[in-house]
Amino acid sequence: MRGRTAIEKIFAAHTEDEVAPGRVIWLELDVRSARDFAGANVVKRFREAYPGERVADPERTFFTFDCNAPANTIAYAQNQQICRVFAREQGIAVYDVDSGIGSHVLMEEGIAVPGATVVGTDSHLNILGAVGAFGQGMGDVDIAFAFRHGRTWFEVPPTMKIVLRGRYGYPVTAKDLTLFLVGKLGARGALGKAVEIEGEAVEALDMAGRITLCSMATEMGAISAFLPPSDPLWEFVEEAAGRRDFPYPTPDPDAEYAEVLELDISGLRPKIAAPPRPDNVHDVADLEGERVDTVFVGSCTNGRYEDIRLVAEILKGRKVAKGLTLKVAPATCRVWGKLLKEGWLEVLYDAGAVITHPACAGCAQGQIGMTGEGEVQLSTGNRNFPGKQGKGPTYLCSPATAAASALRGKITSPERL
Amino acid sequence: MIKGRAWKYGDDVNTDVIFPGRYTYARMEPEEMAKHALEDLDPEFAQKVRPGDVIVAGKNFGCGSSREQAATCLVAAGVGAVIAKSFARIFFRNAINNGLLVLEIPEAVDAIRPGDEVEIDPEAGVLRHGGREYRFPPLPPTVMEILRDGGLIPHLKKTLSKEG
Ligand code: SF4
Repeated sequence: MRGRTAIEKIFAAHTEDEVAPGRVIWLELDVRSARDFAGANVVKRFREAYPGERVADPERTFFTFDCNAPANTIAYAQNQQICRVFAREQGIAVYDVDSGIGSHVLMEEGIAVPGATVVGTDSHLNILGAVGAFGQGMGDVDIAFAFRHGRTWFEVPPTMKIVLRGRYGYPVTAKDLTLFLVGKLGARGALGKAVEIEGEAVEALDMAGRITLCSMATEMGAISAFLPPSDPLWEFVEEAAGRRDFPYPTPDPDAEYAEVLELDISGLRPKIAAPPRPDNVHDVADLEGERVDTVFVGSCTNGRYEDIRLVAEILKGRKVAKGLTLKVAPATCRVWGKLLKEGWLEVLYDAGAVITHPACAGCAQGQIGMTGEGEVQLSTGNRNFPGKQGKGPTYLCSPATAAASALRGKITSPERL
Repeated sequence: MIKGRAWKYGDDVNTDVIFPGRYTYARMEPEEMAKHALEDLDPEFAQKVRPGDVIVAGKNFGCGSSREQAATCLVAAGVGAVIAKSFARIFFRNAINNGLLVLEIPEAVDAIRPGDEVEIDPEAGVLRHGGREYRFPPLPPTVMEILRDGGLIPHLKKTLSKEG
């Protein structure tokens, strides 16, 4: 038998069908979820297709509200309420508007664990590769079906391996590495493939860095990204789930890859994605001096404790530039609480930041607002397509670049601080 | 057998232009959704599309947000199939789950011009256009069964009732 890649290992443990690239299998789903975006449509589909019926397993079915939390439009509020009512009828847990970004909550709560299969209505659910889980965003019919039957069909993707040579050090961060890869591969570079990324630099990532890297697999067109396990990963899993004995999907040495890419990352410098696409990547140094009106720190890509603490460390004892607004949205309530208790929110406040509820916030045109035409935004998020976060142009960068630029009021490399 | 005229577009057609984001939360019936299909890409499409017409596009069709209406509005508009060089995976799934035939046939995409007549026999794996035949590998059996039954939910209902 041929060796298996990471994704093939997870699939093989969740199907009776033969697992090989290009095959369509029926996949058992450990976790089925829906967020406020599309959640109400899932409920509608479920009620239409399965009138009076029950979800397959309420214990493994969840709602997570994050796109617009707490709702600031009546349409969102109504959709969230439709989900709550359905959840009560069915005995499903709701991570409500006080919880944070669903994908992060699933990891923090020990629901998405190494080796698990997880589906939801979030197109960035592949972020769960950070804990060695298979996560996949799907449409309403898919999720209604998953709620009812606990399984779905899936085409086994080919796997591409990326081997990184060399390493980097501060002020270069996981986000710069991620943007570098997105720029290198482009939006279609890994289209329809699972990606395994390895190398010394990957092994050195903390949990926040793993999340950053896996979150932007979406922007490379990938089904999901997988990384080798590491100590920070197991510490995170133990805290979340209370145990470590999960089957981590480590690829077999003789696994077959559709493509192997070797990239040298020594000499990597801080990166920035200019509008209008995440793969329009440059060195920050080359865009320095552009005026910035507003800076958003947060999102599922860079809303972890480590990300926001780094921003606070850089801003400590200083003030953001006059006329510039700095908006901070921790990814989850837990992250928010830790920042609060350790005094970092006070540091951010003193520097002139406004801090909002844990959720997608600026990334989803949510509770911290949008940009107006001509308003230049720097965001630590993952997408800068026109209109995604308002009318203004958005640049994507690391928390360190965001902080340095907030201090100067213009695009600034953290190498200068 | 699917037979219709081609509507041709380029690479990276994203779900926001297939079904505009501003209607995401408007609860619409299929006929209403059909009126907004491709509204931001080609305002003529919804008025002039005829049942069986085929969308022909470049790489990465259906990229961007996972909104399922991108597939359902095309079904509602009567689109017979989407032929592209490649598809974003979430869209690909949504299409099949809603009974919409999606095929990757890059050579045919290059040859077909807007308004051309196209004929597709999915069971035989053949697309006919301009006196030429393009063969494509049949879709995996599970996918074909889902399409034949008109989508994922009807498919499993049928399977379950057969199993008794
Ligand atoms: S932060 Fe942005 S990309 Fe991440 S889940 Fe929320 S809306 Fe999606």
